[in-house]
Amino acid sequence: MTLTLDILLSGLVLGGMYALIALGLTLQYGIARIMNLSYGEFLVAAAFGALFLFTGMAINPILGLLLIVPASFAANWLLYRIVLTPLVKRAKNQGMLEVDSILGTFGVLFVIQGLMQVVFGGALQSYSYLSVPVHILGTTLAANRILALVFALIVGGALYVLLTRTRYGTALRAIAVNPVAAQLSGIDIAAASGLAFAAGGAIVGAGGVLISMFLTFSAASGVIFTMKALIVVIMGGVGNMMGALVAGLLLGIAETAVARLVDPGLTIAVTYALFLGALLWRPTGLFGRPAR
Amino acid sequence: MIEISAISAFYGKHCALDGVSLNVGRGELVVILGANGAGKTTLLKAIGGLVPVAPGGRIAMAGRDLTGVPAHDIVAAGVALVPEGRGIFGEMTVRENLLLGAFPARARAAETRNLDLVLSLFPRLNERLRQTVRTMSGGEQQMVAIGRALMTAPDILLLDEPSLGLSPIMCKELFQSLARIRDAGLGIMLVEQNAKQSLKIADRGYLIESGRIVGAGTGVALSADPAVQRAYLGAG
Repeated sequence: MTLTLDILLSGLVLGGMYALIALGLTLQYGIARIMNLSYGEFLVAAAFGALFLFTGMAINPILGLLLIVPASFAANWLLYRIVLTPLVKRAKNQGMLEVDSILGTFGVLFVIQGLMQVVFGGALQSYSYLSVPVHILGTTLAANRILALVFALIVGGALYVLLTRTRYGTALRAIAVNPVAAQLSGIDIAAASGLAFAAGGAIVGAGGVLISMFLTFSAASGVIFTMKALIVVIMGGVGNMMGALVAGLLLGIAETAVARLVDPGLTIAVTYALFLGALLWRPTGLFGRPAR
Repeated sequence: MIEISAISAFYGKHCALDGVSLNVGRGELVVILGANGAGKTTLLKAIGGLVPVAPGGRIAMAGRDLTGVPAHDIVAAGVALVPEGRGIFGEMTVRENLLLGAFPARARAAETRNLDLVLSLFPRLNERLRQTVRTMSGGEQQMVAIGRALMTAPDILLLDEPSLGLSPIMCKELFQSLARIRDAGLGIMLVEQNAKQSLKIADRGYLIESGRIVGAGTGVALSADPAVQRAYLGAG
């Protein structure tokens, strides 16, 4: 019983992180139409940022969010403006932009990863912030994990409200649904895409800071997070926020269960098994529409 | 109101539109008749900023040059396009679709008034504000599409085959609504295959063939023209 609860709680925390970073990827892929392979590098860069602020300047990660999230927003906006806008402009269709952006951001991945290797080295990193046990329903969970989950909920919830309750947020969703009709409603797609891409960057920055509070990471960890975010997005249905939440939590709980009950080395295998299962059962995602 | 002079458009080397000139005034309903592939859709897309206009042509709205202006700024200048295939947000609700129409700055002040106008024009939408548009019938989706365009507070409304796929009854209702919109003072440019019904409500019309204007006249004159009757009205 305690073990089940333990797995559920730890899985919920991990799954909450996956859901959060998947939301950011949905913004970048669903609205700006960029398949950003360097997405996880921004997560790791944010984690290093949090590590540096905490160990070097004694700024706790929660305060660190206030610095790192805007920085990640700005960095992603610049990436979109400088590197990706030329690709958007020359792309004749959606397929061409997809191929170009995958190749382009694949290069960006190595640049950022290389820079982080040079600055921080290749070793696994972690720091200890609020790693005191908290007793919940007969089991224990580190305080930093609970805090991370709470902040993931706040960031994800705020994004949800912005996207569904404000005029500009509705306009962003409209671009994902029908870009031509969005233009015809007077929405400046180029400007909005840059903003959505940057907002996705802000989300992954927040995810990186929160994850760094309880997971070890290295300069090479980015790819894994990109893959997991991608899997959650596809499992949940592209552009579907509720789908990303459910798929993220499912993945987190499944990974935790396998790591505790069988072997931690199997988590990646479980990720892909779940992914494959979801795709075989519902190719357009758990909450996706059937393809026409 | 809107003046189009000598615009051409190309898809690669194929010339889809060849020096077309026409105009639509305030409170005027103008129908563009032509066969499939004559360039009707390209004409509307070029005016709406979705297809680039070749050098030499000019589009002006109340004297302001709109040639080469991006689509979202053309909406802001008061020209709204309802494209073929409707241009709506299928995954969103009727209310969201209509309020998205009020996104341009020019439309925000009059948002409530325009929403009332749209709902009085299409009362059926009033009961369905919370319904997802994708689940609605073709006629209802067309109402949403026209409603969304009206919410942008346009002076000129461009419609690409709005009657496509509608039942005869829906079609009749639609054309009555268009006449009412015109009577409210908007200029309407209507591209149609349904020549008979559209000429009935049209003030003027143009005939387009292979990307060129080959005839023009009042709605009444065109209806009586034997050539038009042969080509578009299915008479002897």
